[in-house]
Parts: sequence; C-alpha cells; structure tokens
Amino acid sequence: MHSETQPSASLSPPLDSCSDQTVVLSTHGLTKDFKKLRAVDRLDLSVCRGDVFGFLGPNGAGKTTTIRLIFGLTYPTSGYVQILDHLVPHDRQEALRHVGGFVDDPIFYGNMTARRNLRMFGRMNGEVPEERITQVLDMVGLSERGQSKVGSYSHGMRQRLGIALALIHRPELVILDEPTSGLDPQGMKDVRELVRELGRQGTTVFLSSHLLHEVELVCNRAAIMRKGRVVAQGPVSQLHPASNAVKVLTGDQKRAREVLGRLVAPSAVREDEEYLVVEAGEDLVPEMVRRLVADQVDVLAVVPAIEQGLEDMFLELTAREAEGERA
Amino acid sequence: MSHISREFVKILLQKRTYFGWAGLFLVPFLITVAMRLSSGGPPDPEQGGPQFFNFIESNGLYVAVASLFALVTFLLPLLASMSGSQTIAGEAENGTLRTVLMQPVRRGSVLLAKWMVANLYIAIGLVILAVGSLIAGGAIYGLKPMILLSGQAVGVGESIWLIFLAYLFVLVGMAAVVSLAMAFSTLTNSGLTAVAAALVLVIIMLILGSLSVFDFLRPYLFTTHFDAWMNFFRQPVVWAPIRDALINFAVWSVGMTGIAWLIFRRKDILS
Repeated sequence: MHSETQPSASLSPPLDSCSDQTVVLSTHGLTKDFKKLRAVDRLDLSVCRGDVFGFLGPNGAGKTTTIRLIFGLTYPTSGYVQILDHLVPHDRQEALRHVGGFVDDPIFYGNMTARRNLRMFGRMNGEVPEERITQVLDMVGLSERGQSKVGSYSHGMRQRLGIALALIHRPELVILDEPTSGLDPQGMKDVRELVRELGRQGTTVFLSSHLLHEVELVCNRAAIMRKGRVVAQGPVSQLHPASNAVKVLTGDQKRAREVLGRLVAPSAVREDEEYLVVEAGEDLVPEMVRRLVADQVDVLAVVPAIEQGLEDMFLELTAREAEGERA
Repeated sequence: MSHISREFVKILLQKRTYFGWAGLFLVPFLITVAMRLSSGGPPDPEQGGPQFFNFIESNGLYVAVASLFALVTFLLPLLASMSGSQTIAGEAENGTLRTVLMQPVRRGSVLLAKWMVANLYIAIGLVILAVGSLIAGGAIYGLKPMILLSGQAVGVGESIWLIFLAYLFVLVGMAAVVSLAMAFSTLTNSGLTAVAAALVLVIIMLILGSLSVFDFLRPYLFTTHFDAWMNFFRQPVVWAPIRDALINFAVWSVGMTGIAWLIFRRKDILS
C-alpha cells in the first residue's frame, strides 16, 4: 500500500513524456559530486516546449547545482544535459545560444550602467539593437533607471535586470533561479505575470523556486528535488494526487495511531494537526472503525482527506524520503 | 563587440586602472626632481648605483632609461601581477565571471582576450612612463644625444628608438609575469591571493637569482633577464642575452598561459 501511494513512482514521467512536443531541455543521468558529497544524483528531467516548469526543493537539494550544470558553469561527474539538439558540456557554446537566464543572484558590473551591462553581455549573443535594450528594461520596469550604475541598484532591481538580460536575445529557453527573491509583493506579482506571459508566447521557462505557491500559480509542470534526486515530476495538476487518504479523529489519537499502524503500515499513518491521516482507501474505513472500537478507542470522525496543495505534497514527499533514509 | 574591446572597456571603467597609470606617470618626475634637489649627486656606480642615474643631469633622455631601471624589478611586476590576477580571480570574486560564462562564449577566447588586455594595460603604462620621462627629463635637462654604455654617442632620434626597444623588451618580460599571475588566477577565487602568489614567486626568483648557490637556476628564472634590455645601449647591440631573455620570457608566457587554459577550460565556476 505504501508503495502504491508513492508519487515519485507514479508521477515521474519518462523522458519522452513531451509526446508530440519538442523536448527543449533534458538531463540524462546527470550527476555531480563535490569530493564526497553527491550534489546531483542521476537526474533525469525533461522540459517540453512551452512548459513553464517549476523546479522545487529545499535548500541544499541541488537545484542551483543543476542549473550550473545546465549552463555549463560546472562539469558533470557523469551524465549530460541536452538543450534542443545540443549537448552540454560538449556543445555548450551552441546550446547557450538558445538559453537565457541566471543562477543565484544575477551579478553585473556595478561601475557600469544597466544599459551598458545589457549591451556588453547581450552582444555576446550577437548584435543587440538599442531598441531591444529599451524594450527589455521596460518589460522588467527598469526603463527609468537604465542609465543608473548597477552598483546603486537594490537586490530586487538586480533581479529584474537579470531577467532583462535573460530575455535580451529572445531565447527559446529561459532559466530563472529564484527570480522573485528580494522583490516586494508588487514586484513578485509583476515577475510572475511576466513568466506567465513568456509561457503564453511559447517561450519555455525553467523556474527554480522555493516558493511552492509560486510554482502552483505560474507553472504547468514541475519537479520536486531532494538531496540531489528528483522525488516527483509531472504536470502540476497531477502533483496534487487524488487523495487516497482519510482523516480520523478519535478520543485517543496516540492509541489510535498504534491500532491503525498495525492495520496499514506505521508509515501510512501521520498526524495532521488534530487528525490522523491514514493512507488507505475508503474500503478500509469499516475495518479501521471496527479495530478502533475493538480497542476501546472512541471514533469521533472519519472524513476523506482534502486534496493536497503542492506545499503539502512537497513536505510529504521530502519527509517520506527522509523516513526512507532513516529506515 | 569583441572580447578584447569588451575587456578593454571594463578596465577603462575601473578607477584602479588610472591609479597604476598615474603612478607610472609620476615616477619620472619624482626621479628628475630628486636628482635636481639631491645635494649628494647621483648614486655612485662604484657603490652599486645604476650607471644611468649618473647621466641624468647631462641629458633628460636618461630619465626614461633610469625610470625603467628603477621600476623593472618591483613596480612593473606588481602592476603586471595585479593585471594578470584580475583576469579570472578578480571576476570570480565579483561574481561576474559566471555572468560572462553563461553567455555563448568559448572559455579559451575569454581567457586569451583577458591575457591580451592585461598586457595592453602594461603596454599603455609603459607608454605613459616613457612619455612622462621624456616630458620630465626634457623640461629640466633637455633632450640631447645619448652616450651609450659602450661609450659611443648616438643622436636623439636613434636614442629614442633604443629607448623604445628597451621598453618593448620589458613589455615582453612583463608578459611572463602577467601569464604567471593569470595561472594563479585560475586556481583561486580571490584576486588578492592571486596577486600575492604571483608577487611572492617573483620575489623568490629575485632572491634565488641573487644567491650564488643557486646560480644553476639563474638562466631559467625570468627575473634574471629583466635587465637584459641594457644591451640595446651598446654598439654593436649585444644580441645574445637579449635573445636568451626573449626565449625565456616566451617559454614562461606560453607555459603559464597554457597551464591557465588547461585549468580554466574545466574549472567549475562556483562563485
């Protein structure tokens, strides 16, 4: 039963899951070791054309290392990245012609203006007309500060400038690492709307975020990462698994947990505020109630568990992984 | 915009660039004024003082030569170390290296452009030093035909040509220092560490070169050859030490730049 409810098993799609869509970005057995630490562990991801793909994980999960590997900033211990027809690191230069983005905080030359920075970095991708610089500055709300030195920018403004640079050569794939970090609520809203708009225009977006609701808001597909491994990936709508769980409220939750743990599996019973959440189908409910009553536990309520939000899903998945490791 | 022009614009927008160049412009004025005000006269060659200093008061052209002599063992290697170390480590320290390498550029091209611009910085510094020397020396002592180390006199035009060759030679020597600093620069994310490492090695070479027990090493140390430019000021020019020096500088430059490339091409950019 436990294994049947493992979303990592049921939701991780094969690499060709884009069906008739082009795979814009994929990783194949991507692994990165730093001495004894395995930061990324046999990572298989696939991002389809037009996806706004959320890349979720707690701190230290390996998200930023993965993005560095995608950009060819670090070299994989094994495996590779494929961007359209180009393999990274072998064909990194050609691959990056199709990609824009940033990793960690976007860093620019502080003693230069935003315009000069965009001109300087942008032209590494080919000619960039001044009108395009004006256009991307406008898109991120920095048109008024284009002539200011970046050294005078706040963190949030540098984030916006990072997005402007990511878009300057109209790449097919935009990779954004925590793009709303440091932005005020209006800024976050603007960036999310920009990401949605990019998706609507057909640009593929790979969005790393620890803000789970952000992924729910803007992404159509997502992967959840923990300790260098993907624990689930698939359409965001499917990352809300059809709940096969019931919530049980009794007069003695501690005793009830023991009883129900014997019926299902101890790991299939967890606490959720005042309730016990039991991973069991409704067909098991009569037996659950009989056992509880037989053990003289008063049953106060048995209700279907409501559909999980992505946040619950994320916490549950990462907690399960941790439990698995402890076992 | 090519990598070279982009790198050059970058150094032109940095204040420290102008501090280095301003220092090189001021040195000849300081030497000239010091010689003018000195009551004890120029350093005595018998006591190890450089011979060119003895001639300054007779001819301002010697200011250019004396300035080169005064700077070739420390200030110029310092500037070359700073320039070379900023190539990779300086950018890594600022975090801009990853912004550069996230663009579709070849690491080898980026490294080569940085090496060329680091040397261009030194070349401009040497031009500034030469111009400052001619202005300071010319203003106070006038520019007259030079007496060479071998005793012959040459006209002002030929003297300036010989000075040009000497400065060009020193530029090639400093390319070895830039290359060494760039190699260190690929090993660290701290510009200061790279400068310190390169300078310490230059100083160790200078010490090794001054100890007779290490005489067998002298031909291989680039610091040994820094003063070979003085052979331009003999007639006929003594080419053998100049040739040996240029070969030494070339081997160090190519070797260190090659090492830098081997490290940088596979370096994980984590800054």
